[in-house]
Amino acid sequence: MPRTADAVVVGGGIVGTAIARQLARDGVDAVLVERKAFGGAVSGASLACLGTHMHSLDELEVLVESCALWRSISDELGDPFEYNRCGQLRFILREEDLPVAQRWIDGERAFGLDPELLSPEAVRDKEPLLTGPIVAASHSPGDATVNPFLAVRALLRDGGNAGLKAFANTAVTGLQMDGDRVAGVQTERGSIATGNVILAAGPWSGQLARHADLDLPLVPRQAQCVASVRQPPSIRTVVGACESAGGVESGYTQIQQAASGQILFNTVTAPAATRPGAEDRINEAPIGFVRDSIRTLTMLFPSLSEILMLRSWVRFEAVTPDDRFLAGRLPRRGLIAAAGDNGTGFCRAPVLGRLISRIVRGEAAMPADTLYAPSRFAELRA
Amino acid sequence: MTGSSQKCEVLVIGAGPAGLAAAAAAREAGADVICLDLFARPGGQYGMQPASPASRFEAVSQVAEGRAAAARCLELGVKLLTETEVFWAEPGFRVFARQGQEALVIEANQMIVASGAMERPIPFDGWTLPGVMTAGAAQRLIKANGTLPGNSTVLAGSGPFLFAVADTFAKAGLRLRAYVELQGLGSRLLPLFVRHPSRLKEAAGLLRGLRATGASLHRRHVVVEALGGQRLEAVRLAPIGGDGKPQRSRSFTIDGVDSLCIGYGFQPVIDVTSALGAEHRHDTLLGGWRCVADPLTGATSVAGLYAAGETTGIGGAGPARLSGRIAGLGAAAGAGKTARADEIARLARQLADARDFAQGLARLFPFPGHLVDELSPSGTLCRCEDVSRADVEAAIDDGAGDALAVKMWTRAGMGPCQGRICGSSLAELVARRIGVSVAEAGCNRPHMPLRPVPLSIAGAALAQADGGCIR
Ligand SMILES: Cc1cc2nc3c(=O)[nH]c(=O)nc-3n(C[C@H](O)[C@H](O)[C@H](O)COP(=O)(O)OP(=O)(O)OC[C@H]3O[C@@H](n4cnc5c(N)ncnc54)[C@H](O)[C@@H]3O)c2cc1C
Ligand SMILES: Cc1cc2nc3c(=O)[nH]c(=O)nc-3n(C[C@H](O)[C@H](O)[C@H](O)COP(=O)(O)OP(=O)(O)OC[C@H]3O[C@@H](n4cnc5c(N)ncnc54)[C@H](O)[C@@H]3O)c2cc1C
Repeated sequence: MPRTADAVVVGGGIVGTAIARQLARDGVDAVLVERKAFGGAVSGASLACLGTHMHSLDELEVLVESCALWRSISDELGDPFEYNRCGQLRFILREEDLPVAQRWIDGERAFGLDPELLSPEAVRDKEPLLTGPIVAASHSPGDATVNPFLAVRALLRDGGNAGLKAFANTAVTGLQMDGDRVAGVQTERGSIATGNVILAAGPWSGQLARHADLDLPLVPRQAQCVASVRQPPSIRTVVGACESAGGVESGYTQIQQAASGQILFNTVTAPAATRPGAEDRINEAPIGFVRDSIRTLTMLFPSLSEILMLRSWVRFEAVTPDDRFLAGRLPRRGLIAAAGDNGTGFCRAPVLGRLISRIVRGEAAMPADTLYAPSRFAELRA
Repeated sequence: MTGSSQKCEVLVIGAGPAGLAAAAAAREAGADVICLDLFARPGGQYGMQPASPASRFEAVSQVAEGRAAAARCLELGVKLLTETEVFWAEPGFRVFARQGQEALVIEANQMIVASGAMERPIPFDGWTLPGVMTAGAAQRLIKANGTLPGNSTVLAGSGPFLFAVADTFAKAGLRLRAYVELQGLGSRLLPLFVRHPSRLKEAAGLLRGLRATGASLHRRHVVVEALGGQRLEAVRLAPIGGDGKPQRSRSFTIDGVDSLCIGYGFQPVIDVTSALGAEHRHDTLLGGWRCVADPLTGATSVAGLYAAGETTGIGGAGPARLSGRIAGLGAAAGAGKTARADEIARLARQLADARDFAQGLARLFPFPGHLVDELSPSGTLCRCEDVSRADVEAAIDDGAGDALAVKMWTRAGMGPCQGRICGSSLAELVARRIGVSVAEAGCNRPHMPLRPVPLSIAGAALAQADGGCIR
């Protein structure tokens, strides 16, 4: 463990890893410390779809940039994480929801993207086994997926080549403060003196900020997924549920087939509150969730109803009041937040890498700055 | 699809020696009992019943014991459900299962897990060639189906179970080419039998069986490679040196072999008990991770949950039967029935004695985890996902600091067997490379479903649960 560093990134999920890699590539002497295994928390449980469709019109510019960054990283590093530009479909079950889809499509098209509304027949050209009772689906051709485990690994390795020092199984246990400025971190394996600490610890970032007497507006939210035994190629795109005008039973759904052949699927019909401290326990997928996920998958893809379920898992995302990241300076000098993924942090990780590296190096602002600045919350103003 | 549901006071998972003993004891004490098993016939591994009554194993004592234990349960009014596989369990208890092609949910007041053991293979070069199988699989083939593993068979590995398999070969009138045991034994067995003279007869019988197979004996040898093109053709052996490692320079080949049955012992099946959050401990002499159970009641750390047999640590059929009976009485008491204190005290004494013998044997045949070091870099570690030893080491060199990290970066343990086969060796390899203990290297935690289950059946079983989204 080094005794000093220019910057210490706390948390080795996709966000922390992307930031640490970018810092190292930008010449900053950076250290990344992860409490357990790199990518072992929500990042390694992710479906890792990188998309612009039906996310957030306000964030489109950032999303487009981040998706392009993912593609160029894959090209530059020689395709180490199964980058797959498979496109995304959002299915619509009721006529009433067509206008909702159309609004998203119009908004994204105005930005120069090319989503379109497809009839059930046209959907089957793209996704032959999707024979369930849909009335239409929107399609966004540029959306992609990556292997979440290998993405973390590849960024870590690339950062290492640029001088990043990374440590697994090393929890940060405290922040060293010098008045209102951060002076270092305490870890299980010794202290590191540094003028820049980046909190990229997902739902645990709040606990860390408390060492600096700050309350971050972050709460954990349980997220889960089911996987099948490996199948022959069956699903080509990322299949999600279109946002509904009201009361759609399909709620939030995401279905895709990994390069390994496993079909990954999840449906949340009734999001419920996550119990405090749940992120610190080993949790099991709720029965109702597994039941609903199976129902939705087999409703859309009836021919998959006899495949074998293999595994389910539960992790925790960090949610902010306005569904946007908390990324930028906190009102303690040298302390920077990069958490609050709201369930779509994989997509945004490379942009956050750039943003945080600029902040650490004192460079000019970029669009993500204003979108994600913690100071948009009164309690986080200096 | 719809499913059915049942209720009982005491539910027993597993109908091996432990489960059947537990079910009978709980029923005798007055509880209303269901005992289920994923196999088609009760008996478990030890008392496995042949598929056909014409089998020459019909009269073998283990088969007869299994048959008698199952008959006793039926006579007492235990409900025996076969081909019933538990894929999830909730505290309280609610158990979700696949029964044949149907969904089944069972609600129980008390639950006993006697889910037995599974093999603990150590990968070696060529172990995925057709013709190579575990010693337990060979035993199953012969006992249950009367099928021969091959015409020219080498039996190899380490531990007392190999004697039992050789004995099965002998009882089936089959010959063995060679018998390969890592340990030397000889005089080291003596003190154990001096302490447990009653076990001599059984041991002598097994030794006679081994002799009857006509096998050439290779003590202090191990199989370092299985050789062949499309399937197994030969086996390479090496003697064990003073440092406990195979001496490659002195290795030699046995040609013309079409089946290699290899076993290094067993590990407890702890999926149900782990899913329910019971306390587990890592114990080298008991097969690795095992469920902790009270010796006088079989109670685990979870209220109403009991464990018996190999689930609580590898020990064989004797401790399984005794701990089963103890857990059956414990669970019946938990359901409000009165058990006889004098019987429990006697059972506990017998169990301690049986466990002492089992542990004595285990000390003589320690699990040779270090043999995983013999696997060559291109050798397969995880056969489901085709992960080599070099893949695992590359992940460690990239910063993977435990078994979970290696699993994420290589997919070792993410295939259909979910690490049942490679998990123990993966932990061993990680521990050795990083310099931590096997227990610290981590284990593959079970989650829903505990075993692969068709979506239609899982969906139907879960639909019977009223649970909302977050329980
Ligand atoms: C089923 C599922 C599907 C998803 N699908 C998508 C998708 O399609 N697209 C998308 O963009 N996103 C998706 N997500 C969300 C995405 O995975 C997350 O937004 C993203 O991984 C968040 O990354 P993170 O680095 O912020 O968090 P994490 O991965 O949780 O990383 C935080 C890290 O901090 C570490 N840590 C905590 N405390 C300390 C400490 N004291 N010291 C050191 N380290 C500490 C933790 O161990 C952890 O590794 C999905 C999530 C799930 C569960
Ligand atoms: C392949 C193999 C062969 C063996 N052969 C012998 C032998 O010949 N002689 C010997 O002395 N010992 C043998 N053993 C050791 C054996 O485990 C014990 O001697 C003895 O059978 C232990 O009794 P038990 O009741 O604890 O477990 P078992 O006999 O294994 O019984 C456990 C039962 O639980 C069932 N089960 C487990 N999980 C579930 C679930 N989720 N749902 C439904 N049912 C479930 C299994 O199908 C099994 O029938 C063998 C072990 C194995 C793995």
